[in-house]
Amino acid sequence: MSIKLSSSLPTDREVVLGILNNSVEALNKLYVSYFPMVLQFILNNNGDEDDAKDVYQEAIIVLYNKIKSGDFELSSKLKTYIYSVSRRIWLKKLAQHSKKTSNISDFEDVLIVEEDMEQHEQKDMQFDKMKVALESLGEPCKTIIEDFYINNQSMQEICEKFGYTNADNAKTQKYKCLQRLKKLFFQS
Amino acid sequence: MRQDLELEAIIEDYLNGKLTHEERVAFEQLRNNDPMVDHKVVAHKVFLESMAQYAHIVKLKEQMDAAHAHIDVVSLTEELKPHPSKLVRLWRGSKSAVAIAASFILLAMVSLYSIQNNNKQAGTFQAMSQDMAQIKRSQSGLIRDIKSIKTDNRNNNTGSRPRFGGSGFAISGNGYIVTNYHVVRGADSVHVQNSKGSYKVQSIYTDPVNDIAILKINDKSFDNLPTLPYTIKKGASGVGETVFTLGFPKDEIVLGDGYVSAKNGINGDTLAYQVAIPVNPGNSGGPLLDNNGNVVGIINGKENKTDGATFAVKSKYIMEALNAIPQDSLSRRVSYGKKSALKGLKRDRQFEKLQDYVFMIKVYNNN
Repeated sequence: MSIKLSSSLPTDREVVLGILNNSVEALNKLYVSYFPMVLQFILNNNGDEDDAKDVYQEAIIVLYNKIKSGDFELSSKLKTYIYSVSRRIWLKKLAQHSKKTSNISDFEDVLIVEEDMEQHEQKDMQFDKMKVALESLGEPCKTIIEDFYINNQSMQEICEKFGYTNADNAKTQKYKCLQRLKKLFFQS
Repeated sequence: MRQDLELEAIIEDYLNGKLTHEERVAFEQLRNNDPMVDHKVVAHKVFLESMAQYAHIVKLKEQMDAAHAHIDVVSLTEELKPHPSKLVRLWRGSKSAVAIAASFILLAMVSLYSIQNNNKQAGTFQAMSQDMAQIKRSQSGLIRDIKSIKTDNRNNNTGSRPRFGGSGFAISGNGYIVTNYHVVRGADSVHVQNSKGSYKVQSIYTDPVNDIAILKINDKSFDNLPTLPYTIKKGASGVGETVFTLGFPKDEIVLGDGYVSAKNGINGDTLAYQVAIPVNPGNSGGPLLDNNGNVVGIINGKENKTDGATFAVKSKYIMEALNAIPQDSLSRRVSYGKKSALKGLKRDRQFEKLQDYVFMIKVYNNN
């Protein structure tokens, strides 16, 4: 994967179309383009570069989901949208750690993104639930489930990888893991 | 358990659309008949969706991490972290605000500069009205330069032609005329002219500070004028009072109409009024009268850059000038009008009555 770091900013249209077409290149361009902006914001508001990375990635996810859901209209610049979402996420994090959220140094215009953020927070809760469930599942179940559901490997590949004597054994193992995971997921 | 496993597999295939048509129909029937199966289908559907969403975000994060690895975060951080200098931070934080502020300051400076420039102009004029020794034949003093008019004045007594023109008006029937000092300043000889004729005059009193000169007609052909139709107002005129003037910006008497627009002249000069009245070179020395026929001032100049800002010496300084004339220089007493005969008349009638009392001042310089 090669990324031209020096390439100029992609147009907003390019990015939206690229994301709708699952273009890896479009995502990379988008990611590289606006990270410095968010980094600057976080650094100047009591955060470090790791905070910036987390916040920025979350903001990109919000944008990504919004574009994918199809109700994204280019009513504002992507840059402004990303900035506003990042800002909102960071303010919330600051508040959670009971740090002061007054006196925020701003670098861009800010949009109201409450509605999008509410949707995102619901999805994020689901994500965290699944993550916690998977974490507490333990090995080898976690890897089997991830290989099957996330990496889209076939039962045959999983069978070979884990050295099960036959596919049926693998299926049984996967079934047991899945039952536990569902229990964990739905109970939490 | 075997059964459960197979059911689970079928549910998953069903949700993923991997069943054949017959299988699906059969399964849907089973689902309709067995609430337990239906419940499992719904639960698994929710689970699969959550898993898909989860997988999707995990992948997205992986992709972003890959992109992130290509960014030189360390040097960016160095570059963008809060600058120790507050000034730089302020600049970064509010570039646009600073830019706006800067343009306002620039604008303010430009306007200040232009106002100052205006003041400068005003300043030169003030010097003119207060220190007449310095007055040049500027465009501000409303003396008409008739140097270029090659008239038959060659044949007159002095053998030269008039260099400058202004206006003046009688303050008594026996030949005393008031005009501006700057009109007659440096003159070798002065003549006045009205509809009846041209007369040689002698300057008997000048007041450079108030820009007033009093002339006396010394000519045998001059017959005394009938009683003055106007009086000289002793008090001050109010802003907004309608006034008019008569003068000689050309070879014919011209009426100008306006109103007192300020109590003081240029730069708060208390000697003069500011009057909104159109005047031209040649109007200097003309009388400024109110509707009742009282002389309230003498036109003496205008501001170069502002339209309609004319200045007039207040009438009370005419009185002061008259009182200051040494008595022995008066061959006959100055007897200015006591009662205005113009009150209540229309402007055209007032003009008719006035025109014989307003003179064109012709100034001759031999050199």
